[in-house]
Amino acid sequence: MSQSLRPYLTAVRHSLEAALTLSNFSSQEVERHNRPEIEVPIQSAELLLQPMHISRNENEQVLIEPSVNSVRVNIMVKQADEIEQILVHKFTRFLEQRAEAFYILRRTPIKGFSISFLITNKHTESMKTGKLIDFIIEFMEEVDKEISEMKLFLNARARFVAEAYLGEFVY
Amino acid sequence: MLHLSANNTLLEATLIELQQAVQENSPLVVDRIVSDFDHTSFHLVTPDNDNRQFIHLSIVTKAWPSLAQCGGVDESQLIQFINGKLTNQATEILPKNQTTQGYDMTVRVDLTKLDDESIHNLSLLKTYVMSFPFQLAFDEFQRLSQQFATLAPGEEESSLSQPHRGQSYRIQYRDDENIYVQPSNDRITVIFETIFKDETDKIFGKVFLQEFVDARKRNRSIQSAPQVLFSNVAPREIATTSMENSDSRFITFVLFPRHFNNTETQFKTISQILQFRNYFHYHIKCSKAFMHSRMRFRVNTFIKVLNRAKFDSEENEDGEKEPQQRRTFTGRKMVY
Amino acid sequence: MSFLNNPAIVMDNGTGLTKLGFAGNDSPSWIFPTAIATSQGQSTGSNKKGLNQSTSGGSNTSSANSYYAKSTSATAFDNLNSNMLLSNNLAGKRGTEDLDFYIGNEALIASQGPAYSLSYPIRHGQIENWDHMERFWENSIFKYLRAEPEDHYFLLTEPPLNPPENREQVAEIFFESFNCAGLYIAVQAVLALAASWTSSKVIDRSLTGTVIDSGDGVTHVIPVAEGYVIGSAIKNIPIAGRDITLFIQSLLRERGEVDTSLRTAERIKQEYCYVCPDIVKEFNKFDRNPEKFAQFVVENKEKTSKKVVDVGYERFLAPEIFFNPEIASSDFLTPLPTMVDHTIQACPIDVRKGLYNNIVLSGGSTMFKDFGRRLQRDLKSIVNNRIAQNERLTGTKSTGVDVSVISHRKQRNAVWFGGSLLAQTAEFRGYCHTKQDYEEYGPEIVRNFSLFNMV
Repeated sequence: MSQSLRPYLTAVRHSLEAALTLSNFSSQEVERHNRPEIEVPIQSAELLLQPMHISRNENEQVLIEPSVNSVRVNIMVKQADEIEQILVHKFTRFLEQRAEAFYILRRTPIKGFSISFLITNKHTESMKTGKLIDFIIEFMEEVDKEISEMKLFLNARARFVAEAYLGEFVY
Repeated sequence: MLHLSANNTLLEATLIELQQAVQENSPLVVDRIVSDFDHTSFHLVTPDNDNRQFIHLSIVTKAWPSLAQCGGVDESQLIQFINGKLTNQATEILPKNQTTQGYDMTVRVDLTKLDDESIHNLSLLKTYVMSFPFQLAFDEFQRLSQQFATLAPGEEESSLSQPHRGQSYRIQYRDDENIYVQPSNDRITVIFETIFKDETDKIFGKVFLQEFVDARKRNRSIQSAPQVLFSNVAPREIATTSMENSDSRFITFVLFPRHFNNTETQFKTISQILQFRNYFHYHIKCSKAFMHSRMRFRVNTFIKVLNRAKFDSEENEDGEKEPQQRRTFTGRKMVY
Repeated sequence: MSFLNNPAIVMDNGTGLTKLGFAGNDSPSWIFPTAIATSQGQSTGSNKKGLNQSTSGGSNTSSANSYYAKSTSATAFDNLNSNMLLSNNLAGKRGTEDLDFYIGNEALIASQGPAYSLSYPIRHGQIENWDHMERFWENSIFKYLRAEPEDHYFLLTEPPLNPPENREQVAEIFFESFNCAGLYIAVQAVLALAASWTSSKVIDRSLTGTVIDSGDGVTHVIPVAEGYVIGSAIKNIPIAGRDITLFIQSLLRERGEVDTSLRTAERIKQEYCYVCPDIVKEFNKFDRNPEKFAQFVVENKEKTSKKVVDVGYERFLAPEIFFNPEIASSDFLTPLPTMVDHTIQACPIDVRKGLYNNIVLSGGSTMFKDFGRRLQRDLKSIVNNRIAQNERLTGTKSTGVDVSVISHRKQRNAVWFGGSLLAQTAEFRGYCHTKQDYEEYGPEIVRNFSLFNMV
């Protein structure tokens, strides 16, 4: 693991720990509604807290947007070149397609980020906060690993395919 | 499956089925379509219900008009060439006025006279049709190289700087994609013009094509394979003939005499070259399929990690039961 | 665009068999088991070689063209390893096993060796293993149909009550992996109804009717109203092709025939069995008429030895288990006509007449001679009894219900054939979702397909 990754992840972890203090909060606008306030920022500015922006470099950033009953975690995944770009795009879309199984995954990311999570007080009540944070940290680690593995695979496969094709011309 | 086969498996299987039916004295009446890569379709039909030993096998392919042009003004040379490839007691190419409507060429097949080899030959029909300009290029190469060999030593000098180029042949085998075959005195250049419709394919395709270029340099055992070049702009050879399209990619194969010095290697080279586009498009799709498998696996591991965060159901029953099922004095459930 | 001239591809992936072909043909181009044999990882070259001989032995590749015999995966890898040293020895490395597999009949042969393991990606009509299914399709399209998916429209089938998530996954595979030009997913029962339009008995081409779909594993009775499946009324019957085969086998064993293999039982089922109007009379007929008894000759592969198996009452007894299940099973006792009646009675009253009117058979196990006739007769008597009772109780005259069972020549692959019929119409492409649509709206677009207009 590279030198700066560890502190980056530690910073994200601590920020998340600080942000994930959610309480139940009914909507002030609509009776008998209970909605994640972070998703309706115009109507409830007083319920939002200061967002936290953690940046490792310009390609790898995390934006944590807390509010009284929900936290939005936006992750920008490293994309060094156009291959990684397309792989990240494919991968995040694949995950979002299965968002139902992930409970906290947002179906579309916030603009400028690769993937977003939305954690509400319902989630923190039914799941262990510490483990949720573990999941997000592990996710960040694994995504990078997966993208670079897929890139390696693509290159290896292309090489294999090319050699196998040209090998047929060896008489 | 690593390589695509040059022959059409389905066509072969269908012919075998028909042949067996005839041998068992219960000939079938057919009217079937069989498809192949690059906008090619075959049509098998029994023309005469009472005389079921004959069938008409028709082919239509996107490349036909451009192929016909390669040999001159009309398709007679092309037909003649195919005739030479198919020549067999069981098959007979029908004249143009008897060709099935909507098809380029019709072959009349006598099922009683078919043998294994002619069935296999027929299943290679598309490869044969497409190999016409290559054959022309091989002949042209012969002519040019002999012409070059007979040149006086002095003239040789001057011609080295400018290789003798023959006529180039263009096969328009898909909507915006072409193959150019360019014979010259010491080589034959085959240029594929291809485009990617899909953004992902464009990028994956680039990775693949780059490896085709590098493969020969890296791996000593395939040194004798044709040289491959890849570029985003039309190579000099076809700059004049090509319609400019900014999305086009050009892949050049340089064939040396060792790749076509006898009929067997000629055939192998042609069928391999003709598979090129389909081969790497197939492998791009396989890679994407494999990535889907990987991603499915990832999704499952992520879900497992996430599920660890959930409170266990057991815990719910002992520890959490009290607060969850709080009731009011009258026995109503507390809801908040 | 010139892909408009390419025939659409119709794929019917069933639990047991897959039917592949081109729209406009009257029969599928390929029918093979929905099975995939995947590489077990490390394996010795020698048994792969042996396998190759067995797979290519049947085909007629002449020696001059043995070059092409290696187009299948295992051999191609062998040749690569022996012919040349790939840089970094990539062939042996992780990352190419996903190309090393067989599907269909080749998979059955391959799995006999130790190098491959066989699996069936579809269970109970629904796709269970998406990884395997994706590769199954990949091979179906490129190897068997030889089509560039970018140039073709696809018609796929799905069982009734398939969850929409599965459709989305199918779309994800077809549009993202294969870039197919357009996709339509149709419900199997609806296609079976469309296939019955070829029968001369059918006058109006309606998509209202009851489909009896009996394959190898299970029999479904599916009511369809105006193209929509009435999901709540679907009934399953645990009697199908395999049960009939097993029943024949048990009869052969009881009699102590010389050959009682499952294969023989299956051949007898296919070649000799029929449905009789009345068992008692049929028994008498057999006793009076010894010609009714048949003999089935089992030859081994080399045609050297012959075994003669007598075929007796099982000719009419075997299919009889649809109508009198108690002769074969003890846990399921409702006859098929009663099940059909129950199914239709569970549907809204407005469509019941249409459902009785148009009972369509589909699948191999409905192919017995006079199967439709017997079903029609039995069902008619059930319905007429009810009407008579009703008239007696209420005193009003009923207008009557017309029961008609339609059997036609395309019954065996009715689903595929219905797909072929619909996919060759000019309007078909209009009903498909295209790659552009998919990219604009995402996978959820396939949750809705508009129904074909009835002409």
